[in-house]
Amino acid sequence: MDRKIIAFLCNWCSYAGADLAGVSRFQYPANLRIVRVPCSGRVDPLFIFTALKNADGVLVAGCHPGDCHYTSGNLVARRKFALTKSLLEFIGIEDGRVQFDWISAAEGNRFAETATKVVEDVEKLEEWDRWGGEK
Amino acid sequence: MSVLNDIKLKAKELLEKGDVDVVIGYAKGTLNGKCTPYFVRNANDVENLVWENGCDINLANYLLKISDKAAVIAKGCDTRSIVNLVKENQLDRERVVIIGASCPSTESCQKCNHPDPVIADVFLQGETKVNNDDFSDLESFSKLPSEERRNYIYKEVSKCIRCYACRNVCPACYCKECFVEENLPAWIGKTTNTSDNMIFHLTRAIHVAGRCVGCGECVRACPMGVDLSILNRKIMKDVKELFNVESGLDLDTKLPLNDYKEDDPQYFLIGGEKCE
Repeated sequence: MDRKIIAFLCNWCSYAGADLAGVSRFQYPANLRIVRVPCSGRVDPLFIFTALKNADGVLVAGCHPGDCHYTSGNLVARRKFALTKSLLEFIGIEDGRVQFDWISAAEGNRFAETATKVVEDVEKLEEWDRWGGEK
Repeated sequence: MSVLNDIKLKAKELLEKGDVDVVIGYAKGTLNGKCTPYFVRNANDVENLVWENGCDINLANYLLKISDKAAVIAKGCDTRSIVNLVKENQLDRERVVIIGASCPSTESCQKCNHPDPVIADVFLQGETKVNNDDFSDLESFSKLPSEERRNYIYKEVSKCIRCYACRNVCPACYCKECFVEENLPAWIGKTTNTSDNMIFHLTRAIHVAGRCVGCGECVRACPMGVDLSILNRKIMKDVKELFNVESGLDLDTKLPLNDYKEDDPQYFLIGGEKCE
């Protein structure tokens, strides 16, 4: 089955990492729909929750801590993500459904690996009910 | 009784001296055991004030809705909300006289660990039972199978009619335009489907993360009996364990989500350990 995954990638690192994966011809599944954001700090957990209304999984990636284009955007984001991930786990959302990673602009292979892993993880999960759907 | 007398005396004094224009406290509610917020503008009306079981409502929110110089009769959670509002530049500390008193409620908020005010201009101590942190409810919830947990939240959330009463009473929710009302882009569907309700409640829980003081106002205001305080309590526990911050205890600590440390835990990453 074709699972749809939304990837929020920061403009300066992870999006460039995805681009590098492309120009380097690293293969990764086509299930990803990439949304370019200025910084991982721009990712309001609302985006993740809303994405899960119409997709089966979410990947959020940004610059490695210390490498943020805006100095501390990803460090502030990190606290939000920690709480979001923990909350999702708490309410019974599977570990693989929403994943976070740091991917630099030089890590094209890491991007391809991460994308592959996320898609495989989500494919292994039961079909997602999209927050209970239209009930 | 003596605390109530002291409250009345202090309120009267502040009003008569003209130090404040209004004293915000509680009067008897129309239902037995319930108290209603009460604005005293005339010193003679202080006799209507009460301080007893049922004075639950968080009065901090009312300070934002008036511009007069005000005194507020505040228990633990009200003062913590006031601390946060001052820190977030929503409220001028100079405009408010805090008459702090130990929380008189005996029934509600069983797990409250801060019944006494954290800041006050006058502090009237009463008898309170101070609890230690008790997150046993979260621990037993965590032990349930994930499907059961999800279904519980779905069940709670599906009662919601999206009246936004929880948001309107919340002292941490003061945005002039809330994400649920934004149209360009429309972040969230306006239906009461479980999915839109889930997105609303999860996002609200995250938006008040590190600022929620657990006053329980959202649960009390809900006309449909939705109780999602477990989400707020879970975040409260995480904020304390991961970032070592408790919301609204002092004016100096930075808000946990406005701050960061080089070595903040990264359990959430791919391959990261589980967050306990």
